[in-house]
Amino acid sequence: MDGHQKLWTTSANPLQVRLLSYPWCNMIGVSDEAEPTRGGKQSAKSPGDPVGRVLGTADATPLQFWTAVADGSYLQLDDVVVTTRQLPDREPVTIAGVVTQVRARHEGAQFDSDVFAIAEGTLPAVVQEAAEITTTRVDPELYVPPAPGAVVHRATGEARDAALHFDRMERRIPMGTGRDGVPVFLNADFLDGTRGAHVSISGISGVATKTSFATFLLYSVFRSGQLGADGANARALIFNVKGEDLLFLDHPNTKLDAGTMSAYKLLELPATPFSDVRVYAPPRAGDSSGAPDVSSRLTGVDAFYWTLEEFCDKKLLPYVFADADDERQQYTMVVHSVTAHLNRYAVPAEGGISIDGRRISSYGDLVDHVVDQLTDDDTRSTWAGSAVNMGTVNAFARRLIGSKRDLSRLIRGDLASRRPHQIKTAESAQVTVVDLHNLPDRAQRFVVGVTLKTEFEEKEKAGTGRPLLFVVLDELNKYAPREGTSPIKEVLLDIAERGRSLGVILIGAQQTASEVERRIVTNSAIRVVGRLDPAEAARPEYGFLPPAMRQRALLARPGTMFVNQPDIPVPLCVEFPFPAWATRKSESGPPPSSTMRSIVQGADPFAVVGGRGAADDDIPF
Amino acid sequence: MTRMFVDAWDPSYGASLEGGSGGDGPASPSSAQVDTDVEVPAARWAPIDGARKARRPDVVFLVDGVRRNDAGLWTAEDDGTTYAGLAASYAAGVVRCDLGRGVAELVGARIGRGLFTASPTAADLQAGSVRYEVHRVSGPGEASMLPAAVQPSLTALEIDISDMARDGGDDLLVVDGPLRSRRQLPRTIGYVKTQQKLYLSATLNMVVTSLQPGQRTPVFHTGTVWGGWSWYLRLPGGSGAPWSGIVRVECSPDLTPEQAIELAEISGATLPRFASSAYKDPRAPQNLVPIAGLERRLRGMLGDSRVLHRALTLATARSRT
Repeated sequence: MDGHQKLWTTSANPLQVRLLSYPWCNMIGVSDEAEPTRGGKQSAKSPGDPVGRVLGTADATPLQFWTAVADGSYLQLDDVVVTTRQLPDREPVTIAGVVTQVRARHEGAQFDSDVFAIAEGTLPAVVQEAAEITTTRVDPELYVPPAPGAVVHRATGEARDAALHFDRMERRIPMGTGRDGVPVFLNADFLDGTRGAHVSISGISGVATKTSFATFLLYSVFRSGQLGADGANARALIFNVKGEDLLFLDHPNTKLDAGTMSAYKLLELPATPFSDVRVYAPPRAGDSSGAPDVSSRLTGVDAFYWTLEEFCDKKLLPYVFADADDERQQYTMVVHSVTAHLNRYAVPAEGGISIDGRRISSYGDLVDHVVDQLTDDDTRSTWAGSAVNMGTVNAFARRLIGSKRDLSRLIRGDLASRRPHQIKTAESAQVTVVDLHNLPDRAQRFVVGVTLKTEFEEKEKAGTGRPLLFVVLDELNKYAPREGTSPIKEVLLDIAERGRSLGVILIGAQQTASEVERRIVTNSAIRVVGRLDPAEAARPEYGFLPPAMRQRALLARPGTMFVNQPDIPVPLCVEFPFPAWATRKSESGPPPSSTMRSIVQGADPFAVVGGRGAADDDIPF
Repeated sequence: MTRMFVDAWDPSYGASLEGGSGGDGPASPSSAQVDTDVEVPAARWAPIDGARKARRPDVVFLVDGVRRNDAGLWTAEDDGTTYAGLAASYAAGVVRCDLGRGVAELVGARIGRGLFTASPTAADLQAGSVRYEVHRVSGPGEASMLPAAVQPSLTALEIDISDMARDGGDDLLVVDGPLRSRRQLPRTIGYVKTQQKLYLSATLNMVVTSLQPGQRTPVFHTGTVWGGWSWYLRLPGGSGAPWSGIVRVECSPDLTPEQAIELAEISGATLPRFASSAYKDPRAPQNLVPIAGLERRLRGMLGDSRVLHRALTLATARSRT
C-alpha cells in the first residue's frame, strides 16, 4: 500500500507533469536497470520517465487506451508503459500495457494539402503523436479504465518486469531482447510441461529464421540454468531438413562479433556453441560400407539405418506408407497384415533376415519377396488374409515397389547389426541432430516417423517425464497435415496431446500453421511467428496477433519473432541474437575435439581410459 | 453584357464588400478627408507591382481573436427590475510564422471569460471550473448591445498578447481588422478584410478594381479619428470579381510617409503568400491561412460550448436556491 501511495504521489506531482513538455526531460533519469529480482512484488517498483498522458478524445477502456505522447518524448511499438488510476477508498490501480500502435498527425490541419502550408510556416499546427496501449496487467485486478489525463510512464526495471508478468515467472528462459533492448523471457512452466508444453513456430522459409529461433531457444534452455537439473539433463532431437545448416551446432561461429557477444551477455548466456552434439546422417546411397552421406561436415557424423531384423521386429512397414492409416484406402489392411506376418515369421540371419526359408539381405530383396508372395495365389492368403482382392494387393505392391529406391539405403541387411546405428537420444549426446536433407520425401517421413515413435515408446516405457526431450521438427505441415491421417501424424498427435506429461516437447516449425493439424497447433502453449506471407497472416490461426502486429509480421526482419505465451495477453516482439554456433561451413570455426572420436564410429578405444573429454552417456565398450 | 461573379465568401459571413445596397462595391462613400497624393499624385495613380527588392521579413506575427457567446442571461434585481446579461468567452492569440525555418507556431494565447451586464448587483459567476468575471456595461444595457461590449475586452487581450509575443528585430505584425487602438505597436499593419467604406473617388476606385493579384494601390492618407496611412492590395485566388481578393491595409498615422510606403512594399511582398484558397476557407482569399489556423486553435481553446452552457445553467440554478 505504501509503495502504491508513493507511485501515485510521483505521478501526480505537478512539477514533474510540467516537465513533460520540455525536451530535456527525456534526458533525465534514464536509470540503469536494477538487478531484476525474480518474483519481486509489483508494489515495490517505481515508474520510469513520464512520456505522456492518457488522452480523452478516444475511449479509454481497461483493456485498451490511447496515450498522447508529450512533446520531446516518443513511444515506439512494443514499448512498455504504466499508469495509475486513483480510486476512492481503495488502493490505486496500476495499469500496465504495451504499445500496439503509434500515430502522428497534424492537429489544426483540415485538408491534406494543409501539410504544405504547415511545412512552409504559414499555417500553425501541432504535430501530435498518440500511442495505443493494450493492457497486459491490472494490479490489483480491478478493471477500471485509466483516467484521461493520467500521466503515463515508460516502464523500466521492475515495473517493466511486472507489466510483462516476468515477476511472476519462477523460472524464466531468456528468448532475446525486446524492441527496447532489454531481455524478454519465456515462462519455463509453459515449456517444460508444468503448465503447458510445445512450441509452434510459423513463418516464411528463409526470412523467418524459424530453425534459428528453435535452436536458440534450446540453447537458452540448456544454458540459462533456469530449469536447473532438468535443463542440464534435457535432450534435444533435431531433424535437419534443409541444407546442412544444423550440422555445425557444436562449431564456434567465426563471424561472432562484439555486438553479438554483448547481446549474449545481456541475456546472461555464454556465447559458445552447443557443447555436446551428435550428428546422424543416412548412409551414402549405393555405398556398402554405410558411410554417412554428408558433404561439408566430415568429422563427428555417424550413419543411421535400420536393419531388416528391426524393420520386421518393430513393425516399421506402415511408416513406409504416408497414408497407411487412412480408412478410405483399402490397401492399408494389407499393410497391417503383411507387417504382422513379417513380425511373426522373420528370423534374424547375419544382419539380414530369413523368412519362408529364404535369406533376405536387402530391402529390395524383401520387397520383391513380399510382392512375389502376394501375387502368388497359393501364398497370398497367408500374407494378406483371404478377403483381399487382387486390385487391393496390386495397389499395395505398387506402392511398396515404389519405396525401394527411397528406402533401400536406410533399411539394410548387409551391415553388422552390432554396429551402433540407431538414433536413441537417451544414449546419444545432449543434442542429437538427424540429417534428412539428402533424403527423398518418403524416406524423410519414414525416418521422422520411426524415430519419433521409438523415442516416444521409450518415454512411455520409462513412465517418467524426465529427462525432458525436445523435438525440433521443421515442415510440420508435411508430417502432420490438416487433412488425412498417417502413422507419422498419429505419433505427432500423440506427442502433442500426451507428450507434456511424458516430457516430450515438440518444437514444430512450419511455413503455414493453417496447414498443420489443428490439434497440434492448439496444444502448443507457445506460439511464435516470424515473417508471414500476407495471405497466411489473415488466417484465424494467427488470431492471437493484434491487427497491428499482424501487419508487422509481414515485414519482420530475420531475427525478429513475435512470441505469444499463455500468461501474457499480448505477443512480445523478440529479437534474438545471431547464433554463436556456425550455421554453415563457411562460418564454422575448428570442430570440438570430441568429434574426432566419431571417425571410428563411436567405439573409441580411449574411452576406457577416460580419454573422452565431453560428457557422454555412452557405456565405454 | 454584364459579367457576373459568384462571391467566394460563404453567404453567412456576408460579402467581402459590405454595403447598404447589394454587393457591387463599397456602397457608402466615406466622409473622411482623403489625401491621395502621398506616394504619387492622384492623377498618376496606377497599380503598383509587388517590388522584388522589397525586404521580406522572415518572421511574421499575426494576431487575431475569437469570441463566442456562451449564454444569454437575465438578472432579477431586488427592486424588481431586470437586466440582460451575456456570458461570453473570448480568446486572442499570436501566430509566429517563421518563413525561414518553415515553422508556424502559436506563441501566445490567452482566454478571457466575462459576464457582460448592466446590472449593478451582478457578481462573478463561477460555472463549474471556469469563472466569468463581471464586466459592468454602462447605459441601459439592452441585450442587443451586449455583444458589442465584448469587443473592447477582446481588443485589450489582443494588444496584451501581441506586446508579449514580439521578440524585436525585423519582424512584421499583422493585426486582423483595423488598427484602431493598436496603432502604437511597432512595425504593425492592420489588415481589413471587409470593405465597408469607399475612401477613394470613383476614378481612383477604377485603379483598385483593376489591380492584378499581388499588386497594390499607392499609399493614401485618411483623416478620420482612427485614420492613418492606407492602401489596397489584391490577393491571389479571388474569383476575378472587381472587389474580390481586395484588402485594405493600414498602418499607424504616426509613421512618416516613407515608413508607410516601406510597410506597403513589405505587405505586398508578404501577404499574398498567406492568402487562402476558396475550397478551404469560406472567406477566401482574404482570410489568411495563419489566421484561419489560429482561429481554429483559439476556438478549440474556448472549450465546448455545450459544456459551458450547461455549467452556466447549473451555476445560475444553484445561485437561485
